[in-house]
Amino acid sequence: MSIAPQFVGADLGQAFRFWPRHNEAIYKRLESKHAWLEDQHVGDGGAPVFEEDPLENEMILNMGPQHPATHGVLRCVVKMDGELIERAVLDIGYLHRGIEKLAESKTYQEFMPYTDRMDYLSPYSNNVAWCLAVEKLAGIEVPERAQWIRMMMSELARVSSHLLWLGVGLMDAGAVSVFLWTFQGREDIYKIFDEVAGARFTVSHSRIGGIASDLTPSSLAMIKDFVDRYPKVIKDWQNLLNRNRIWIDRNKGVGTITAEEAKELGLTGANLRGSGVPYDVRRFEPYLKYDDVDFNIPIRTEGDCLARYFVRMEEMLESIKIIEQCLARLPEGKIRADDAKSAYPSKEEVYYSMEGMIHDFMYTDTGVAPPKGARAYHAIEAPKGELGFYLESDGTGRPSRVHINSPSFSNLQALEYMMEGEAVADVVVLIGSIDPVMGEADK
Amino acid sequence: MRDDAKNVADKTVPHREDEALKFYFTPTDPPGDTSDNPHAKASTQVADVIDALREEFGEPAIGEMRVYAGEHEVVVDRFRTIEVCRYLKEEQGFDYLSALGGVDRFVEGDRFEVVYNLLSLDDAKRIRLRVRVDEDDLTVPSISSVFRSATWHEREVYDMLGIRFDGHPDLRRMFMPEDFEYYPQRKEFPLLGVPGSLPLPPQTPEGDLTMDPFAAAHGSKPRESFDEPKSDFEQSL
Repeated sequence: MSIAPQFVGADLGQAFRFWPRHNEAIYKRLESKHAWLEDQHVGDGGAPVFEEDPLENEMILNMGPQHPATHGVLRCVVKMDGELIERAVLDIGYLHRGIEKLAESKTYQEFMPYTDRMDYLSPYSNNVAWCLAVEKLAGIEVPERAQWIRMMMSELARVSSHLLWLGVGLMDAGAVSVFLWTFQGREDIYKIFDEVAGARFTVSHSRIGGIASDLTPSSLAMIKDFVDRYPKVIKDWQNLLNRNRIWIDRNKGVGTITAEEAKELGLTGANLRGSGVPYDVRRFEPYLKYDDVDFNIPIRTEGDCLARYFVRMEEMLESIKIIEQCLARLPEGKIRADDAKSAYPSKEEVYYSMEGMIHDFMYTDTGVAPPKGARAYHAIEAPKGELGFYLESDGTGRPSRVHINSPSFSNLQALEYMMEGEAVADVVVLIGSIDPVMGEADK
Repeated sequence: MRDDAKNVADKTVPHREDEALKFYFTPTDPPGDTSDNPHAKASTQVADVIDALREEFGEPAIGEMRVYAGEHEVVVDRFRTIEVCRYLKEEQGFDYLSALGGVDRFVEGDRFEVVYNLLSLDDAKRIRLRVRVDEDDLTVPSISSVFRSATWHEREVYDMLGIRFDGHPDLRRMFMPEDFEYYPQRKEFPLLGVPGSLPLPPQTPEGDLTMDPFAAAHGSKPRESFDEPKSDFEQSL
């Protein structure tokens, strides 16, 4: 089967054998970018013209989708002038699984494992975001204890996600040892999740109307041990990095975004707060028990990679502060709503009573059925930024529309503009500081 | 841009009858008074902003308002979208676009909807606008001149539902390759995809492109990827 594409790169043979129109469109975009902003670049939309003398050519560099520094299957096509990036086009979708479409054929509870695989660095936050959105749609009230446990585990997920960002970000800049240390930290958190949920990574522990299982004394002891040990560990890392000349030189003044630009480009999460915009969903629209606990929201105004580094490091300490308060104030009580129409019955009921078994069957088969025509949007502050689910119901047990507002998608859009004017060596540092997860951006 | 006539006219109509939605129906009450929703937020109660919009733009431009779970949302006329967004941004302080998404309502008139989610960071307010668009004329004005961050979100809606955005600087597909000819988020699009619509890399170095990754589900066995001797059990069949 041969397709004869008439575009640049056709001579690369096998590499562009499929999707020729796709690559053609990306190169056209690279040529015509900014023509709509400043009229000086009136590209004819054609492929780049190559000069006789190779030194006259602008170099076009394809990074990804298979590139270790792109944190997943992110493809950057950059046009360079010397070693500075003149224009950049990001191509995403290599991990597109169509989970919004899949959600329309699943019950609300069945969709939960898919949310684990969106931002796969902090699955617990995604579970909580999904449950809260469904609970808002169906008007389900969650017991206090479940809310505190959810909050505690979401903050652990935030620490775990930031630990990965730190290790990988430093590895991109050339320091491998921190990567090994932060993975020890992640290992400790995996062990906690294993004890709490029975799974190290894709936990699926939250349930609509509550959580799956209560915390055991041993898991509480593990969390206690973690929050006792880690403030010191994080401060040690800060001592190593905050005044580290190589780290600062690689980050300071790179990818600077002002507060106005950050809002205009739709940045979210720590990236937005690194530019001095105090937007955090935990304060903006408090959910769970965030209005009951005491914590600060770190903000920097410089807007460069270093500012984003400081914000995330401080956020980890704030998260540990929240977990400590959760441990101290964890109330006794039920962990799921006591209503067969809104939450699963406990295993004891299922095994030892007829009604319990019927409720379990009905909940698995049909599940929550929010009123016909109901629509709701609920957002949480995930480690990457505002993660929101917009749901529409048609009165059945399956959503008629799920729209996922994923923070990595919004952040990547700004990255495309952030890269322009930077050196090509800074691309990996920039991607690391934006902290995208393609599972979430590609849906 | 490619000619989309095929997608709009032919593929949707014949499927309407035989591929009607399956309802696993549980009788429920219509959404009633939900002011006691335990998850309702103060930030989404923006009746005063909607009143100001109605005063500024009048009745046909600003349609019905709906409240559910403490969230106020309003239908906006398609051709006034840019003006309304600019007014909200400049006069009402809604300076941050949180998200923008498309909905396939799967009904006769005004089948598609575009939903805008705007934030006012200073006043801690969130408003939701809906713009309805019919299948016959699938264009909505692009708000990328008001909010630059709408660019990718509008590309996503175009990719998934086929709604075109007038005045968009870069209307390419977001997730699917340009060579793909369908709009997968539409209700009539089959969950397992259309065989042959999306060529994938060959399974052997010299092989042909893989035209249907779900061949088994579509009734044909995929070609064997490498020469492996059959097991005793397979030979006995």
